[in-house]
Amino acid sequence: MKNSVTKLMSIVLLTVAMVSCKKEDTVLDTTNNGSFKVFTQGNITTVQNLQGDTIIGLNPTTGQPYGSGKFTFFSLSTGQIIANSDSATNKWDLAFRGTTILTNNGTSGPGLGGAYVQVGAFADVTKVSSDSTIKIDNAPNYAITTGSNKGWYVYNGANNLVTPIPGRVLIIRTATGKYAKVEILNYYRGGATPAASASDATKTSEQRYFTFRYTYQSSGSTTF
Amino acid sequence: MQKILGILAVLLSIIPNAYSQNDSSKVINLDEVVITATRTERKLGNIAVPVSIVTSKNIQQAASLRLNDILNEQAGLYITSGFGSGVQMQGLNPDYTLILINGEPLIGRTAGVLDLNRITVGNIQKIEIVKGPSSSLYGSEAMAGVINIITKQPINHQLSAGIRYGTYNTLDANVTTATKFNKLLVQIFSNYYSTDGYSIRPNSVERTVAPIKRYTHQIQLNYPFSNKTKLSILGRYNYENITNKIAVTNTGSTTYSDGIEKHNDYNINPIITHQFNSKTKSALRLYHSRFKSTQDLSTNTPNAYNDYFLQDFYRAENQTDYQINDKNALTIGTGYIVENVRSSRYDNKDNTKQSNVAYGFVQNEFKPSEKLNLIAGLRYDKNSIYASAFSPKLAIHYKSSKKISLNASIGRGFKAPDFRQLYLNFTNTAAGSYSVFGALEAQTQIAQLDKLGQIQSYENDYYKLAALQPEFSTGINIGSKYLISTTTFLDVNIFRNDIENLIDSRLVANYKNGAQIFSYLNVKNAYTQGIELNLTHKINTSITMTSGYQYLETADKDQIDAIKKGTVFTKDANGAARKMNLNEYFGLPNRSKHMANLKFLYEKNDFFINTRAIYRSKWAVSDKDGNGLYNNNDEFAQGFVQLNCSIGKQFNQIAVQTGCDNILNYTDVNNLPNLPGRTYYISFKYQLTKKQKK
Repeated sequence: MKNSVTKLMSIVLLTVAMVSCKKEDTVLDTTNNGSFKVFTQGNITTVQNLQGDTIIGLNPTTGQPYGSGKFTFFSLSTGQIIANSDSATNKWDLAFRGTTILTNNGTSGPGLGGAYVQVGAFADVTKVSSDSTIKIDNAPNYAITTGSNKGWYVYNGANNLVTPIPGRVLIIRTATGKYAKVEILNYYRGGATPAASASDATKTSEQRYFTFRYTYQSSGSTTF
Repeated sequence: MQKILGILAVLLSIIPNAYSQNDSSKVINLDEVVITATRTERKLGNIAVPVSIVTSKNIQQAASLRLNDILNEQAGLYITSGFGSGVQMQGLNPDYTLILINGEPLIGRTAGVLDLNRITVGNIQKIEIVKGPSSSLYGSEAMAGVINIITKQPINHQLSAGIRYGTYNTLDANVTTATKFNKLLVQIFSNYYSTDGYSIRPNSVERTVAPIKRYTHQIQLNYPFSNKTKLSILGRYNYENITNKIAVTNTGSTTYSDGIEKHNDYNINPIITHQFNSKTKSALRLYHSRFKSTQDLSTNTPNAYNDYFLQDFYRAENQTDYQINDKNALTIGTGYIVENVRSSRYDNKDNTKQSNVAYGFVQNEFKPSEKLNLIAGLRYDKNSIYASAFSPKLAIHYKSSKKISLNASIGRGFKAPDFRQLYLNFTNTAAGSYSVFGALEAQTQIAQLDKLGQIQSYENDYYKLAALQPEFSTGINIGSKYLISTTTFLDVNIFRNDIENLIDSRLVANYKNGAQIFSYLNVKNAYTQGIELNLTHKINTSITMTSGYQYLETADKDQIDAIKKGTVFTKDANGAARKMNLNEYFGLPNRSKHMANLKFLYEKNDFFINTRAIYRSKWAVSDKDGNGLYNNNDEFAQGFVQLNCSIGKQFNQIAVQTGCDNILNYTDVNNLPNLPGRTYYISFKYQLTKKQKK
């Protein structure tokens, strides 16, 4: 009896140990509650807490928050934030400010960029459909459509929360004409959307922290 | 549907086996007369549509004060919060249940909700609840069903008075008196209700239920000109005054304001009935009702908010009942409605908006044998603003034995677009400066704004704006009444409602400053289906158990199509998208799949103990994963049990009653603002006339 209990215990412990080992392998740092981090596992890179502009006030008429107006530039090929002084170069592929995401072309930059929004699960989107569906930024109309329920997010007026729409994959043509697929995972600090009942102050201060994952094809291939 | 049948099978198997017991008091009175189901007096046991009755004794023993208190304890009804307390029936919103007082509609809905708190239960004889579309008799709004409040008929030399006091300084007092002057019988009823209100949200300036004072006065005159011709006039006046402190936080600064809300409504309803002969009876009913609501917010800034709403409803109607022969009874009716509304919520509060409706209805009840009863009805409503509506209904009742009867009905219901959906002209300066325009106003208003250079862009839905059509439903109810034994009675009803053309608000355009403009369109199709069970069992001569249960499924049909197409996704724990399965779909928000109530009544001599438990399973409140519909990954309000108990004793002419509501002290700040914690009360009632013995 005692023996079997010990056996059982060791099996349980072993299982726990294996499970914890597996956890350590995952790229997503679930303890990260606010710092900017980039992880890569296989061909998927995950970016946490990329801050797309900070909020400095609220519009007195509409109550909508507004920021300093600066974009945060990001390179999909290097997985790094690009300095604002390089905004007029081919170094960046995506730029974030609030819910607006730019690609490097047209009115936004000098690159070969472009994008379209594909309905589907990230893993199921394996191909860029054709160059003709790729749109170019033409402010105020962007390749990644802005506005609630039009591009990548939905805004709930009842609780003032912004949620990425599940099943929206952003197909990106980078500044140098390569391809990537991007899925926005969360819009709030630490990848955790505040509760609907949280205060407006919390919802304002915690927002504009992008968590997203992407697959980048450095070869220029149109399949992922 | 399979699930429903499964549940039915389980429930049937747990019903106590029939056993004989010598008891003179019946478990159910199937001879009770119901008027609402067919607009003619019929015995409860012979009615072809689902009907339930709440008696004055039920109301008194539950110590209810307002109509929502007692409806909350009925199977399949859920009391909603938001714009007052409305009633959800067979899973349909409060907008789709017609509320009648002595057969005439109560008016004064806000955002589609008629606040049931406005109605005192102090002088109610009984409440008849008819489920399923009833537009074939009642026209607009009777889509989910009809609730008819029947007030007490005057009894000569009657005097009764009652007073109740409870938690939060809640005071309710009633006086009823009736006297005969020659042939004229006059009854006067008055009710006063006040409460300090309460807040279940900690540190909140604003109370979830504000301090309220309400007065209701009712007068009824009955005058028989002869044995054949009778006149009755019913007058009712209701006034309520609500005061609240409101804190609005915008752009970081908080504005405190004092709100005063006043509601005035009255109705006057003369009815002449004439019996031409033993076969023909006719009634001429005139009805006028006015509802006036004002809301004034005084703030420390110049932006005071004043809201004004005035609705007038006039109706003349004739109904003639003709017994063609032993087997056929015909009912024919015709009427005309004029409705006027003036409101600051529309373009200009001095402009009267009017709608006129002419209608006619016919119903034939065919009884080929003692066992079989067939009803066919049709109503036609012609409205001056929107398309006309045909509302047919067919119902069958079959008594297979003294113990078992079956009934089935199919009917069509409709709801006319209301004034708000047609004329609203509202810009919320307090929150985001968004605008909502009624369907008849939207294009003109937006075109004007565009001329002023205020419009940034148009949405696809803008180009779909058109004259609103009525919302339609087709409802099927199939049920059975089963007197299992002299002590056990079961009532089962399976229902399905298919709703088309539902009106919903949609984004139609955007202002240059980023704010949005909404209007109303006929865009949605939905269904609700389920089963309702009511079981009454007399455990012994003094204890009766009553239980009710409703299983409910609801869905937005377009959402089901989208899920089937594979274009709906949800999220895993890391926020990554995956395809959503149909079995994860939860249906419409604010609806519980399971609702149940259980009541034990102990009654001996002049003493009673009445314990009731009301259960509601979880319901969806917010779309957390952003896919625009409600599924298992979304935010739910927890299921809960509310337990109420009252004890009463009669001492000669005085009845004393005390009790406690929400004994388990269940509260949910975010989702159940109208449910305070535990509350206590005590009441005294004096009655001069002796109880009428049957």
